[in-house]
Amino acid sequence: MKRPKSGMMRMERNWGLLFALPAILGLMIFTIGPIAASFVFSLTDWTIGGQMTFIGLDNYRTILTEDATFSQSMFVTTYYALGSVPLGLAAAFIIALLLNQKVKGLSVFRTIYYLPTIVPSIANTMLWLWMFNPDFGLLNSLLESVGLPGSKWIYDENTAIPSLIMMSTWGIGNTVIIFLAGLQSVPTHLYEAAEVDGGNRWHKFFHITIPSMTPTIFFNLVMSLISTFQAFNQAYVMTNGGPNNSTLFYVFYLWRTAFTETKIGYASALAWILFFVIMVLTVLIFSTSKKWVHYEGGERS
Amino acid sequence: MLKRRLRTWMALVMTAMLTGLTACSGNAGEPANPNAVELKFMYWGSNDEKQAMEKMIQSFNASHTNIRVKGEHVPGDYTTKINTLMAANQLPDIAYLGDSLTMKWASEGRLLDLSSYYDEYPELKNKLKSSYLYSEPGKSIGNYTALEVMQLFYNKELFTEAGVPVPPADPQKAWTWDEFLEIAKKLTKDQNGKHPGDSGFDPKNIVQYGFAFGNDRSSWGPLLASNGGGLTDKTGKKYTLNSPESVEVFQKLQDLVFKEHVSPDLIQQQDMPSNTIRLQTRKVAMVVDGTWSLLDFSNNKQLQWSIGVLPKLKEPKTMIVAGATVIFQSTKHPKEALEFYLYHNNPEKVDLFKSGLWMPIEEKYYTDEQAIQSWTNNAAHPPEFQKAGIEYARDYAIKPSTSTLRNWPDIGSKLTPGLDLIWTNKKTPQQALDELEPIIQPLLQGVYPDE
Repeated sequence: MKRPKSGMMRMERNWGLLFALPAILGLMIFTIGPIAASFVFSLTDWTIGGQMTFIGLDNYRTILTEDATFSQSMFVTTYYALGSVPLGLAAAFIIALLLNQKVKGLSVFRTIYYLPTIVPSIANTMLWLWMFNPDFGLLNSLLESVGLPGSKWIYDENTAIPSLIMMSTWGIGNTVIIFLAGLQSVPTHLYEAAEVDGGNRWHKFFHITIPSMTPTIFFNLVMSLISTFQAFNQAYVMTNGGPNNSTLFYVFYLWRTAFTETKIGYASALAWILFFVIMVLTVLIFSTSKKWVHYEGGERS
Repeated sequence: MLKRRLRTWMALVMTAMLTGLTACSGNAGEPANPNAVELKFMYWGSNDEKQAMEKMIQSFNASHTNIRVKGEHVPGDYTTKINTLMAANQLPDIAYLGDSLTMKWASEGRLLDLSSYYDEYPELKNKLKSSYLYSEPGKSIGNYTALEVMQLFYNKELFTEAGVPVPPADPQKAWTWDEFLEIAKKLTKDQNGKHPGDSGFDPKNIVQYGFAFGNDRSSWGPLLASNGGGLTDKTGKKYTLNSPESVEVFQKLQDLVFKEHVSPDLIQQQDMPSNTIRLQTRKVAMVVDGTWSLLDFSNNKQLQWSIGVLPKLKEPKTMIVAGATVIFQSTKHPKEALEFYLYHNNPEKVDLFKSGLWMPIEEKYYTDEQAIQSWTNNAAHPPEFQKAGIEYARDYAIKPSTSTLRNWPDIGSKLTPGLDLIWTNKKTPQQALDELEPIIQPLLQGVYPDE
């Protein structure tokens, strides 16, 4: 039943709308609008400066059946994700466990591990560019000083992606913080109960810590998977997709198609395919989550 | 979340209001002409170039009270920026533009056809022939902003120490490849002072290289032309990078690195310091670089340097590597834009010519002795420049495929990964260039006219 509104309530509603309007407009104009537009563009052959013709699903057909660069960039991105997501999660989890101990100077360590996240990603990339340099870089100097042969790192087809995976663990500060928060919210009464039952550290870790952390692990897994699929800076700043397309990340290929080759229509179709891939992956992870993610209260949801 | 976004918005609105207010107050320094036509000019370049441009814009505005040019310097990714502006229909009136994009947009009718203004502005016709860019036969959208060609820069001291002759400056006396390789070997040293070819030479510990070159078209392009090779045949419709003449060039370059050991690995070089530093620190004796580097070289007081011509394979040849300045078809003031266009790269108005960054495009600056002296008689131009700069650019320079081939942006991005296989020694040039054929051939769409 409709309630009659008082003048006061109406005024509040109007003011509320007015203040929310910029945000709503921003969402419409800068997010929903471009998303819709890119879908329309993906059905055309628009190149910047040229005419626009509607070509239906031709772009998608070309990408999926003829474009060797597409499969190469998909391969590169998947390879990178398969390496950096598990490595990043494991490293972040271990660091979070360490930071969760009661040791002296804890806040200093916490700051140190979070610092690289604050540094702008381009600056990080520049830093690693110097470290990777085969002739005078830090990494090869270290290897040489202990008598090991150096590597060409990002300058060799075979080591380029592994090098970038190694580098990706540098930026796990955010993940660490989320894990840390998760660790600190594991109910202490469970640990106490385990102690009463005579459980040791390993019992506590495997039967209490890990299960209680599964929602956090799940969240971090989804987030880092999405962000690794959008890797771009490494290729843009460090390798330009080379050597021989070995670091041609998907988003870099998309960007190059749009802004170097000026093919906006084709690039839009690439973007929608990426969206679809990420969506399918996320749905897959969500559907498996029922089997391994525990929420407090005992129920598996 | 919503709250934060709201705050961002309010900040944006405030900023917009503030900037709006400042814009109204105007530039107090200049005499305001309320009827002046406003033009927007977009350009790239180093800090030096920016300063020279701002100075030029100021003097233009002062001498042309009916026009007010606003310069916009774009330091970062210029192509992305101008592509975005083109997509959004918010182009400046006049702008620098990379040559391949210039040709593409010219053929799509986006740029002003300057040839229709020849009668009104005869100065448009007095440039060097090789600097004109034509989208249709007889229809020119203008010229390169300045002329820049590839040359050989070297550290004089290293030549004296090794007791070998310096690179010739006269294009007619250009070294043959064998002469060049002999000298490069003598200038290459490992940590024990041994040269390639000596017994016990250690290629893993080279402290000084004879020569360094880049992996882009400006390094191999001139040599391809010199050997009668090329990316395509004259029609631009047939791939010829795997012809014997072309393969030979890439084989010789690959050998410089992996067989003769006189040049550093190309992929690693991407991160090495600039050419001036490499020459100054005696890491390298000779480098191939463009005329624009004269500015950096003359700023380096510790280095004794000069320039020569590139080695030849069959004929001496160099390549133009330059961007263009264009007037967009969308401008509301084509005549005023033309006035500025003619002014912006006039050696009498801009000091970028005397500082070494640019070479003029007007013919008289290459043929008239007095005009030549007016821009080259200074520290940025060594005596060798008369031959290795002026004569070389005037008589031996060809246009790069970025200016002549249709569909270059597509071709370029497919070409680079294929050539990487040569620069990393994964494949022989013959194999790598054969494998590129099925990839490049379907992209070829012919050439732009040359007059």
